[in-house]
Amino acid sequence: MSRRGVTRRELLLGALAGGAALGLPRTRARADSARPARLDGGPLPWRNWSGFQVCQPARRLGPASESELLAQLRDGGGVLRPAGAGHSFSGLVPCDGALLFLDNLTGVVAADAASLQAEVWTGTRLAQLGPALDAHGQAMPNLPDIDYQTLGGALATSTHGTGALFGSLSSYVVGLTLATPTGELLECDAARNAEVFHAARCSLGALGAVTRVRLQNARPFALLEETRFRELDAVLADLPRARTENRYYEFYAFPHSEAALEIATNETEREPYSSGGDDPDSLYLLETLFELTRRLPGVGSALYDAILLRMGTSEHAGPSYRVLTHPRTTRFNEMEYTVPAEAGPDCLRELLRTIRERDLPVCFPIECRYVREDDVWLSMFHSRPGFSISVHQFAEQDFAPYFDAVEPVFWKYEGRPHWGKLHSLDSGRLGDLYPRFREFLDLRRRLDPRGRLVNAHLGTVLAV
Amino acid sequence: MQARSRISRALALLALLGACGTEETAPAPPIALSEQNVRTYQAACAGCHARPGIGAPLTGVEADWRERRAQGLETLLVRTVDGYKGMPPLGTCGLCSEDDLRQLVRYMAGLP
Repeated sequence: MSRRGVTRRELLLGALAGGAALGLPRTRARADSARPARLDGGPLPWRNWSGFQVCQPARRLGPASESELLAQLRDGGGVLRPAGAGHSFSGLVPCDGALLFLDNLTGVVAADAASLQAEVWTGTRLAQLGPALDAHGQAMPNLPDIDYQTLGGALATSTHGTGALFGSLSSYVVGLTLATPTGELLECDAARNAEVFHAARCSLGALGAVTRVRLQNARPFALLEETRFRELDAVLADLPRARTENRYYEFYAFPHSEAALEIATNETEREPYSSGGDDPDSLYLLETLFELTRRLPGVGSALYDAILLRMGTSEHAGPSYRVLTHPRTTRFNEMEYTVPAEAGPDCLRELLRTIRERDLPVCFPIECRYVREDDVWLSMFHSRPGFSISVHQFAEQDFAPYFDAVEPVFWKYEGRPHWGKLHSLDSGRLGDLYPRFREFLDLRRRLDPRGRLVNAHLGTVLAV
Repeated sequence: MQARSRISRALALLALLGACGTEETAPAPPIALSEQNVRTYQAACAGCHARPGIGAPLTGVEADWRERRAQGLETLLVRTVDGYKGMPPLGTCGLCSEDDLRQLVRYMAGLP
């Protein structure tokens, strides 16, 4: 329940009661996009989290040790792709050869109290990493807003949270162990195998399998997350203050609306509590409200804005790893580009203008986050602080008309696509965006001369 | 509602503890999980199915599963493999075999 005003759910449901009077369905009929799997005891298909990426792998490998993994790599065979937890929207994983899962290599290997560093198996899910590090008196300095992924999968795509003073997860790796495609084990850090280290912190799974990483952590800390709706113009005008005065800051812009949702998260000494928390149906309620108000010419847009801006606030306090991450039970497909931090607001405005001018029927909020620059070769934040803009479409709906329309806007602002999210760039375009791209390609050729880790998608983005 | 929420949380916690092997405090589970599937449950399933308030049916909460069970195990399994509404394909366990998923679904749904 919200502590001030009506709750978001009450307000949305109240508005939707009017929709019922107009004969609108309470929620859009959702197509079941899945073709039913055949269950005959044979190999199962693999699908990613959204269901868009699909393959039928010949083998699934789940080594229980590094030595078993090295033997599997030396065995040769066809294409092999590391798979993580399957949360990438892009085609990093699908292949008809072998999928590699490090689900049996999990947990904290060792932790050092003095340096606040911990060595962790990369098969560990982010959701389990927080409590595991806490038991050793440590915490990740930042986290993405979901925690279903494996640590290895998140690092391979430079997955990030928000906060102008905080880099992506990859930037907190101070050492790593790489099982190469030819079956060698390389220990890497800034002094040993330094080139491999800088490349393998965000590797797309193209250099081998990173089995262990040493993370630079912080002491455990508690956070208070505060969310509120404001007018987008006010949010953008206030950005220089909000991005620096809050430890973590992000906002969501709403297509076809003047409203925005701000999320400011800071350290707290409060006991854990929650008010007005996540509603699993909120995005579908928003979609129905959007469709209802679009049917009211003249007043619909103002009504949509008025309802959004009257939404209540919410607060959530607890350990950092519980507050920074959120459950996501509405599945979607996603495109994300990171533009230079100073260009972010202009890029966002042009995106919203494009959506409005083309009358694209989308309501899914657009997520905007700040991330600190780093020196990871293929990180989206290499050598420049970034403003990451994420657009989403419900998993049951065709994302192509929307994503095709907005992707050129990102290009205009020198946007770099998130490796784990949908985009249409090939190696030629990507090479212009990443100063160390050619060096990464050379290193990949040396480590994987036979292209064993290359599937169709990597062939396109890495010119193989 | 608050009472129901507290009861749900307590049952989910008990179910999770059951998965950890603390049998003296857990209700008798309908089936036992293999050691591998205990780890899978904790890594891939518990994040939603032991977390009240996010819409996923909670392990061990009879009211959440009664209607779903009536659809039959095979329907639940197909939806687990393909993904269904908020449920991601394979329950995010890409390494799982059909037998693994069958055991995990039976465990969470209270099927013998």
